[in-house]
Amino acid sequence: MSVLSAPRFVGQRIRRVEDPRFLTGRGRYVADHEPVGTLHVAFLRSPHAHARITRLDPGPAERAAGVVAVLTGQELEAAQIRYAGFAGQPIAPLAVDEVLYVGHPIAAVVAHSRRQAEDAVELIAVDYEPLPAVVDPLAALAEGAPLANSRAASNVCFHLEHQPAEIDQLFQEADLIVRETFRTHRQTAVPMEPRGILATWEPVAGMLTVIGSSQWAHGLRDGLAAALHLSQSKVRVVVPDVGGGFGVKYGIYPEDVAVAYLATRLGRAVKWVSDRIEAMISDFHARDGIHMAEAAFRKDGTYLAIRDRMVSPAGAFMLDGSAAVLETVIGSLVLPGPYKVQAVGFTIDGVLTNTTPLGTYRGVWGPAATWVQEGLLERAAEKLGLDRVQMRLQNMVRKEDFPYHSPTGVVYDPGSYQESLKLAAERIGYADFAREKAEAARQGRLIGLGIAAFIEPTSLGAWQPEPPTVPYESAVVRMEPSGEVLVQVSVNSHGQGHETTIAQLVADVLGVDFSAVAVRFGDTAAAPFGGGTFGSRSITVGGGAALEAATKLREKVLAIASHLLEAAVEDLEIGDGAVAVKGVPARRVTLGEIGRVAYWIPGKMPPGMEMGLEASSRYVPPPMTFSNGCHAVVVEVDPDTGRVKVLRYVVVEDCGTMVNPNIVEGQIVGGVAQGVGAVFLEEMGYSDDGQPWATTLMDYHLPLASDVPTVECLHLETPSSTPGGMKGMGESAMVAAPAALIGAVEDALSPYGVRFQRLPLTPERVWQAIQAASQPK
Amino acid sequence: MNGEAERTVAFTVNGSPWRGTVEVRQSLADVLREAVGLTGTHLGCEHGVCGACTVLVDGRPVRSCLMLAVQADGAQILTVEGLAPGPDQLHPLQEAFWNHHALQCGFCTPGMLMTAWALLQEHPQPTRAEIQTWLSGNICRCTGYQNIVEAVEEAAVRMAGEGGRA
Amino acid sequence: MKPAPFRYAAPRTLDEALAVLSQHGAEAKVLAGGQSLVPLLNLRLARPELVVDINRVAGLDAVRHEDGWVEIGALVRQWDAERDPLVRSQVPLLAQALGYVAHPQIRARGTLCGSVAHADPAAEIPLVLTTLGGEVVAARAGGSRTLPAEAFFLDLFTTALASDELVTAIRLPAGGFQGTAFCEFSPREGDFALVAVAVALRWDAGGRIQEARVGVSGVGPTARRVVEAEAALAGEEKSRSAAQRAGEAVAAAVHASGDVHASAEYRRHLARVLTERAVVQAMAIGGEGVDAQ
Repeated sequence: MSVLSAPRFVGQRIRRVEDPRFLTGRGRYVADHEPVGTLHVAFLRSPHAHARITRLDPGPAERAAGVVAVLTGQELEAAQIRYAGFAGQPIAPLAVDEVLYVGHPIAAVVAHSRRQAEDAVELIAVDYEPLPAVVDPLAALAEGAPLANSRAASNVCFHLEHQPAEIDQLFQEADLIVRETFRTHRQTAVPMEPRGILATWEPVAGMLTVIGSSQWAHGLRDGLAAALHLSQSKVRVVVPDVGGGFGVKYGIYPEDVAVAYLATRLGRAVKWVSDRIEAMISDFHARDGIHMAEAAFRKDGTYLAIRDRMVSPAGAFMLDGSAAVLETVIGSLVLPGPYKVQAVGFTIDGVLTNTTPLGTYRGVWGPAATWVQEGLLERAAEKLGLDRVQMRLQNMVRKEDFPYHSPTGVVYDPGSYQESLKLAAERIGYADFAREKAEAARQGRLIGLGIAAFIEPTSLGAWQPEPPTVPYESAVVRMEPSGEVLVQVSVNSHGQGHETTIAQLVADVLGVDFSAVAVRFGDTAAAPFGGGTFGSRSITVGGGAALEAATKLREKVLAIASHLLEAAVEDLEIGDGAVAVKGVPARRVTLGEIGRVAYWIPGKMPPGMEMGLEASSRYVPPPMTFSNGCHAVVVEVDPDTGRVKVLRYVVVEDCGTMVNPNIVEGQIVGGVAQGVGAVFLEEMGYSDDGQPWATTLMDYHLPLASDVPTVECLHLETPSSTPGGMKGMGESAMVAAPAALIGAVEDALSPYGVRFQRLPLTPERVWQAIQAASQPK
Repeated sequence: MNGEAERTVAFTVNGSPWRGTVEVRQSLADVLREAVGLTGTHLGCEHGVCGACTVLVDGRPVRSCLMLAVQADGAQILTVEGLAPGPDQLHPLQEAFWNHHALQCGFCTPGMLMTAWALLQEHPQPTRAEIQTWLSGNICRCTGYQNIVEAVEEAAVRMAGEGGRA
Repeated sequence: MKPAPFRYAAPRTLDEALAVLSQHGAEAKVLAGGQSLVPLLNLRLARPELVVDINRVAGLDAVRHEDGWVEIGALVRQWDAERDPLVRSQVPLLAQALGYVAHPQIRARGTLCGSVAHADPAAEIPLVLTTLGGEVVAARAGGSRTLPAEAFFLDLFTTALASDELVTAIRLPAGGFQGTAFCEFSPREGDFALVAVAVALRWDAGGRIQEARVGVSGVGPTARRVVEAEAALAGEEKSRSAAQRAGEAVAAAVHASGDVHASAEYRRHLARVLTERAVVQAMAIGGEGVDAQ
């Protein structure tokens, strides 16, 4: 792509421009905003997994010290305040007569301080009549299971099935069929900054302004406008610094609606910041899916077909981005991963359960589907007596196959599947590992090597005829009279560093110094509409829009320069903050001079050209852009305790053009850490009666500095067809790491023939697996 | 002695005296954020696990969510806002975090910096394992810690070169 | 997540503190390091009417060595004890254990006596106190009493301390063991242990073990000594096989119960493994240093 033909900033490990404010304590998150007179909210939440509310008396709370108001579900219901769940299904922000999960908000107390609000929540008189709860998704599917929601006709809330005609034949002709049930466990994303919202209301004008910790400013604006029956032009959402998102800050939550409603009702600034306990039970949960999968192979290792029956819980409601849909549907599109198969079949059931609703968390479909993909292949290689790397290579999509049309209907753009696997295998020492493992065994040590080749479908565009996600992103690039540049983008940053990377892109197009470009986002009053930040697409789609807009602006700058310098555009070059005639550096005009003309002197502008220097773009990318790569890891298992230690970890990532390798590697290493958490540490467990038992960070074990390995990152760059050649990659490490780690532990336990069907691999579960195998085989 | 519900406290924060009346149930973190106006100290869990609220009290790293503000009466407190030696300067730790891309969302960063500061006071030339152990009281969800550990290593070298200034 | 309202008293002398407790003890909580109490306050799991902050009480912050005991006052922070030369030389097992107590930020405030009074069944300091046969000094208005550790810890989070009493010190026997080791198994660094084992050994010039102390936590409502394991070691040469027998003795003696964190079977198994490892470390054989995990 010509716009980046000789980049000066793209590809450089530039220090982030956003960092100084964070390093000096000057970051400003929602909790740090406190207009004078702000009122604070605390929620009453259900202690039951499923119950009827037989009495709710807010009176004692209303009379408590410092309390301004108590909001109940009845009031919201009377005002018809609901927000949109899956396919627009309305959800009541506060329970009215039936609570559906522990943590389900029932009432909101508004007081002068959070302390007072929490005091008063305890005074709300509420009686419950417990109802049978259903927690396990398979139990929810069973005949005669209690209904998770008495208003639902069935616990099955989503069903999709596709079994191609040829798949039975392929399975019949197969030499080997491998079957396994893979079950991920429930997690939640746990960004370190809990969610929060501050809403203010301008009476008479009827203007709602919201400061919210969100990945998607426009989505929150439109969601609130719809829920509160306000026009979109009367709602402004400002997203300040956001302390991590990982998927759980995408979309709208009941607390957002309740707090914004309270601001409109009270005419005051109203604020709620989630505490950690409520975050653990009210942030979207994730995963917890079941894959009953089977794959067909020929005895030479040729991979023929895969079939997967998926059961995925939605929790108490079908959210707009319900895990029951996204974990499964996206998974079904990429089930074979980087391997060629002839047919893919799937059956999906989404089920309601009496738990916190499940939504998106980094990788969404990926940790499970990649485990299925690699786990089946590993089992097949073992059964067929084939080398597991060779068998992967043999079945992988090759360079000459691109663009590859998968039987699922998805098109893979060019990547480096075989190359990345070979590089990872070489770097981890695969060829010599059998000897290394035997040597370790002689010392009584169990070591194992795991591999996960992956693809990541990123940068979603119009991936369905009427896509449920915004199929483009937007940018407005403005050169100020000084020649400096301001960029407004529709994507949001909550750690990804867009202020830096998008500035790198734009600086190269406009030939200005990186420091002359400021990137802004998150304010719906200033930023153009878009889909916000999700699905590993900000740099490709948001950056793509910025590149396109900057390119348009450059054309205008060159046209003005051409007029001023009396030289043809083709003879001009832009760089170092000026436009000069090629080969005649003295004939130049600075961008500041061009800016002065463009903003102040109509008479010097090319005839008919509009004043000002501003261009915008809405960039619609291809339906999907695939990054790829391979994780390879060596672990050691302590057979006495079951503890797993990661000894070395290699990631090969191909995300096309890298704008800033520091940021790419930061995403990889952070994703591997979350993979370590997913496989070994984190579990959002529930008792059979629906009580969550990991509601603090004492019980929900996030990985610590002492838990994570040192990761070696290697890069291949197969550019995409998008402007700049980038591919998304923010989720790839989370997609691949679990499969690699699980495979490594299984390889270490190969003397015992252990294969895992459930996560997490806590030390006890690993130890139990060894015990169950009893004798080394 | 039946106790009080409110109390006047005075402490020094980042070199400046502060005095005010607080509810006795308020944490030091809440008072620093709400009354003193120093919002760089973050609350990530309020039960002493995440470390985002770490500040230095009389030179030691303390979880300010687990200390009542009334207990800080008479104390010398250092928060992230007071770490840099001057208004347009950075502390070597801050500089090293910047160089190593040791932060993403920035929310845990103040607590990380304050813990690292205390570590380098105790162990001016820490081993990698010591750094990991010390930082294991601070949770970062974004970075995977690798760059943070490397940043602390670099800061230790730089500070040793500058005569151990912390 | 803010504490329910309470009132706050900050006595300046021990007498004042004890007077407050004698009057309000039943509805009061003592605040020393606060690293166990304040989370419970924040979570509203503890709801005292009065918090008695003893941090300004004079004379409780010393580590003393007298009459063969090391006495550690109620305001001695874990951070300080960890670095205290007297603790390190006379009660090395305690110094070893302190490194496992949470994280530096917790140890900077947390006190040893507070941990003992809180009596978390997974906490390290009660285990050391129990293993070494330490004592708890409890004061009330008009007097004080000294309880052996095994009489002090009654159950999960339950001690013999009366509501008007204050733990003013713990006492640990000084010296007496050439080899000590502390091993624990926790989900992550700084977490409470699933199982922890403390071992102290004294041996003669010929290397024969004369006295052994073996304590274990995580396999019952309180930390406990396992005399069967101690007996298995007494009179033995330092050896891996003796360590194994100690481990087996522990596994046979303990009655673990399972919970959400670990099954009974796994806890019992860990107790065996950790005992073996701790004994080996305490023996300083097999090339493993006493500080190795």
